[in-house]
Amino acid sequence: MTPVSGPLNGVKILDLTHVWAGPLAVRFLADLGAEVVRVEAPDGRGPLVFPSTPLGGWISGPSSDEPWNDNALFVKLMRNRSSVSLDLKTEAGRRVFLQLASCADVLVENFSARVMPGFGLDYEALKPINPNLLYVSMPGFGQSGPLCNRVAFGPTVEAFSGFTQMMGYSADEPRNTAMALMDPVSGTNAVAAILTGLRQREVTGEGAMIEMSLHEGGVGYNGPWLVDTQLDEIPAPSCLGNRHPQIAPHGVYACAGEDQWIALACPDDGQWRSLCEFVDVGDAEWSVAKRMDHHDEIDDAISAWVLQYSKEEAAARLQLAGISAGPVNSAPDMIADDQVADRGYFARYERYDVPMPGNPLRIPGLDPSEWRRSPRLGEHNREVLKDWLDYSDGQIDALENDGVLADRPPA
Amino acid sequence: MDRVLEVGGCAAGYAGRLFVHAGGDVVSNAVAAPAWASDLGMDAFLHADKRRIEVQDPALLAELAEHCDVVIVHVENAQAAQALGVMEWQGCVRVVITSFGLSGPKKDWRATPNVLLAMGGYTHLMGDADRAPLTLPGHYAEFQAGALAYAAANAARFCGENDVLIEISILETLMTLSQFTTVRWHCAGEVRGRHGSDFWYVEPSELYACADGWIYVNIVPQFWDPFTVFLDRPELAMDERFTTNDLRMQNRRVLHEIGRKAVADLTIDELAARAESCRVPVGIVRSLQEVLDEPHLGERSFWYQVELEERSVKVPRPNYRIGGMPGPDRQLFPVEYPKRKLQS
Repeated sequence: MTPVSGPLNGVKILDLTHVWAGPLAVRFLADLGAEVVRVEAPDGRGPLVFPSTPLGGWISGPSSDEPWNDNALFVKLMRNRSSVSLDLKTEAGRRVFLQLASCADVLVENFSARVMPGFGLDYEALKPINPNLLYVSMPGFGQSGPLCNRVAFGPTVEAFSGFTQMMGYSADEPRNTAMALMDPVSGTNAVAAILTGLRQREVTGEGAMIEMSLHEGGVGYNGPWLVDTQLDEIPAPSCLGNRHPQIAPHGVYACAGEDQWIALACPDDGQWRSLCEFVDVGDAEWSVAKRMDHHDEIDDAISAWVLQYSKEEAAARLQLAGISAGPVNSAPDMIADDQVADRGYFARYERYDVPMPGNPLRIPGLDPSEWRRSPRLGEHNREVLKDWLDYSDGQIDALENDGVLADRPPA
Repeated sequence: MDRVLEVGGCAAGYAGRLFVHAGGDVVSNAVAAPAWASDLGMDAFLHADKRRIEVQDPALLAELAEHCDVVIVHVENAQAAQALGVMEWQGCVRVVITSFGLSGPKKDWRATPNVLLAMGGYTHLMGDADRAPLTLPGHYAEFQAGALAYAAANAARFCGENDVLIEISILETLMTLSQFTTVRWHCAGEVRGRHGSDFWYVEPSELYACADGWIYVNIVPQFWDPFTVFLDRPELAMDERFTTNDLRMQNRRVLHEIGRKAVADLTIDELAARAESCRVPVGIVRSLQEVLDEPHLGERSFWYQVELEERSVKVPRPNYRIGGMPGPDRQLFPVEYPKRKLQS
């Protein structure tokens, strides 16, 4: 499959990722023009019959005849790449994989730390056959250290990162985001790491192991708080609910209608004065410190005013006065937002015309109209083995007959 | 080595930080803004080993940009980008980060991160169902945009581009990083809501108080059986109310009650040991001080020291290491008079 146009044209990537962080990283690279081949176990997308509806539903609607190909959450992450379904537990499958690895620029996996060494397919095993390879490993706690073999998912790693202590209604009421926040942190930083590695390889002429950790990604984003924790003269960071240590007012306020809310903040004196002009919130000359002292009564006044309007109308009125405010959007609100629609952010390239989140990197030459739908399992077995490895039809037929290549999960 | 100029807010600062760690020569013209940490905390994290200037004259910045390989700008909106004139600067890779992008009906809207998190679909999902939704504390939105700005600039440099304008909207960044919010709406017809700390679609996933702290359990289906051992309630594996994830969702209140009771009197150390021996996904809620003291991070050389005026602090590295090399310690330089920088 020809990659889409982009700055990474000519870069070959083997994608062995699963769940969220890894596939998200690879999707960015595919959007940037890399040629991505996803190597999947025949049962890597799940069984022939799913026990229940997956988290994102079926892209095909209420039900699916091919559940392994129609899991909407999976499909969302899989555009612009080919699929080869290969049984790595067979000797022939392993041989094909090593051949693919020998001509790749980058391999990305986010299994737990012991999986790839267990297969004998870790960096040390692949380096001799491809010294130029950038091997990216993204386990939960990295490849070393006392926690490296802990079972990790985004929400549990979030707890370890220090973030859960800072998130919530108060110090006594912490909350987990329940959004697996560490995964997108790791995903974006994996893209940064791989681009760094590709550029370093241009200088050194050699591949490298790129080792990542979901945990360290989360801890890293808490960096400023971690510095403050070491500075005696600065109060220890604490959970503030929807308030902010340096901005007042700062909050989320109920609007007219059920579960309708607006987020608002006055990050400077000018916005505060503007707010005072049409909402009776306090003295227009109050400093931030004074506004902090009066935050409860300011919140009451804002709440009373906001409650008169829909969230969209309240936000529009506040923005007209130059105040930072916006509606708390649900999924349908996000898709209907006029800003997002005007910029063509959601893209309709997928089966069943489902709009998919776009790419926030607006680089000249990238064109979402080139994007290709998520591949079916094993859809490009033949094409990739011919293009990358010069296999003949007879060789490929033999691999199919032996069950090494597949296009559906095993019965 | 790239010569990099960063201008404006902390998204540019985060991108510049990654350039420093890649060996870049970074000059920071950061603009102070209210932050979730102290100025010193932000500076030590973002700006160590950068040369720092304070320039407000757009013409001078344009001149500096001409001598750079990469310029990263983070300003509030399109109007501010226009006022800076960054779209007209030449001779370098320019990445412009704004709240809503450089086009569209809201391009000049004003936004703090809590506004962007609200509009980007995050806030609607966080907090308790019967209470106000919660925003994310910290600088997630800006740091994510900064990481992508760094990646985009490197992608352009990788393909030999020397004069290009790249645009990043923080709102679109957040929407891109949503998990299954919009596809669930389109494909399953369900508006995803908020359920406290409960992930809701995988049970049990919840924050439980124990004797001396909190743990977070996230028991995806294949871990249910070992989790019953973790709770010291192995008979639950055969309990008809809980044999599938769907049944556990239907009986989530009872299940959470059992979970809470099972861990309430145990200590963090006891629960951590059990989690390890049972191999179940259980997170320990660490305080920031505990994170600083975490032996795992120390053993992995995760921290580097940043020298401040009279002391030094531990600062986290980026979460990737290339070729196994931990980075060097670093220094926070004072903001200097710009002429000296220009002369060099």
